[in-house]
Amino acid sequence: MNQHYISIRHLSKKFSKDFVLKDVNAELGKGEILGFLGPSGAGKTTTIKILTGQLRPTSGEAEVLGIPCDHIDERIYEQIGIVTDVSGVYERMSVYDNLKYFARLLNVPLREIDPLLKRIGLYEHRKKPASKLSKGQTQRLILARAILHRPKVLFLDEPTSGLDPSTALEVHKLLMELRDEGMSIFLTTHNMEEATKLCDHVALLNEGVIVEYGSPEEICLKYNRNKKYRVQLTDGTRHLLEQNSQAAEKIASWMASGRIETLHSCEPTLETVFLEVTGRELQ
Amino acid sequence: MKMKPVHLRKLAAIMEVKGKALFSKNFIIMPIFSLGFTFLMKTIYGAVTKGAFDMSAYALALGVLMNLMMVGVYCTAAALAEEKEKNTLRTLMTSSVNGLEFFLGSLIPVVLMSTVVNVLCAFIAGFDMGLSQWIPYLAITVACSAISAVIGMIFGIFAKTQMSAGTITTPALLILMMIPMFSGFSGTLEKISGLLFTGIIFNAIANIGNALPAADLKGILVLAAEFLVSVAVFLALYRKNGFER
Repeated sequence: MNQHYISIRHLSKKFSKDFVLKDVNAELGKGEILGFLGPSGAGKTTTIKILTGQLRPTSGEAEVLGIPCDHIDERIYEQIGIVTDVSGVYERMSVYDNLKYFARLLNVPLREIDPLLKRIGLYEHRKKPASKLSKGQTQRLILARAILHRPKVLFLDEPTSGLDPSTALEVHKLLMELRDEGMSIFLTTHNMEEATKLCDHVALLNEGVIVEYGSPEEICLKYNRNKKYRVQLTDGTRHLLEQNSQAAEKIASWMASGRIETLHSCEPTLETVFLEVTGRELQ
Repeated sequence: MKMKPVHLRKLAAIMEVKGKALFSKNFIIMPIFSLGFTFLMKTIYGAVTKGAFDMSAYALALGVLMNLMMVGVYCTAAALAEEKEKNTLRTLMTSSVNGLEFFLGSLIPVVLMSTVVNVLCAFIAGFDMGLSQWIPYLAITVACSAISAVIGMIFGIFAKTQMSAGTITTPALLILMMIPMFSGFSGTLEKISGLLFTGIIFNAIANIGNALPAADLKGILVLAAEFLVSVAVFLALYRKNGFER
């Protein structure tokens, strides 16, 4: 049986009179990545804050590593790592000293800092004050600090927001490595490509309500009602074909004559699913 | 409120970082200013009285008050506000640091620096003390440094930025300094001064200079009460700061 590192049951959160989360349910197992996908204001950050003990739920239950979130104290933070848009670094301190400080707080041997700096590509900058780092480097430092103590669960709130594509790719690669090493990752994003690439399961969140939940493939296939195929031939012409016997014959003849350059199915993306379900854009 | 355990490893790490911050260019000016202020007062009062009266106790009292306000209250408030402004306080709170560890880790370096400055002020002011006078002087200055640091932390919790820390602490600093300074002119101010840690240390230095006991039982109780209330308020605000804000 898969052990659930995060378990969310009927979670709701109200600020003043407005619900920002309504009856949210989700689970995250060991070595999995669960993504909460939605536009700004959907309730993604609120969910992370509740799960990490920074906010209390109005109703429902949420557990992280078996500990109810309204009973979280500082001991849980030795088993989880958190990266949010408000995670700060000590700007006057060097990259190394930032990690050294948290290594001492979290009882991590100092010898583990250099290998981690090499892994995230900041070893060359280890003596540089954190204030001199670029945004991408700062984000990598924050991520390094969050994984310094090898947490069982890593929370990431929009981990690649504002990063250039190559830095975002590096972050994605690192997250997949961490997942393969057995770390469970809960991330929020409004980037559907990121969610599709990284997540084992996603929850599409709109105005505090999960409108779809499952693996990205399952969700996309569920909404693949008008099955179509996009074909590009060797002569450069492009064809959009529906799934029927005529199209099958056409494709078969093109294949037989070696005229097909590319052939793609046209199932919807998470973004188009979200648009179809909610009528809203993700961005 | 349930008392949290204090891990010496975490406490030492926080103290080291906070201690280094006190020597940064943002903060080191404050103790230097207090020392300079003491020297200035000593020089001015010496010139005005032409040596007819020993004004070293008064110069020292003013220097100590300035130190308690600038190092104790202002530096602590600004350092904490900086942690909030740069979002490192929230990061610490989600890195297994409890309120008591953060509190002690922030308090101890400030008290140490403030105490060293208070000792230096005594030498600069030319305040001659024997061992029997140094002991109460150190005891009461350490106690008042601790109170001022906790008050600074309370201001720091309220301040959103370092700049706002300066804005909101200034009126309080002026009130805490000026009431003892002008307590000799008004019975009401004298009574109020007797209920403030600044007033108690102001009188204590004069008493030490006159070979009298530094403080009576009421003064000691006031200091203890102000320290305990300040600590309770800070811990409550620290816990509250992590939830629903």
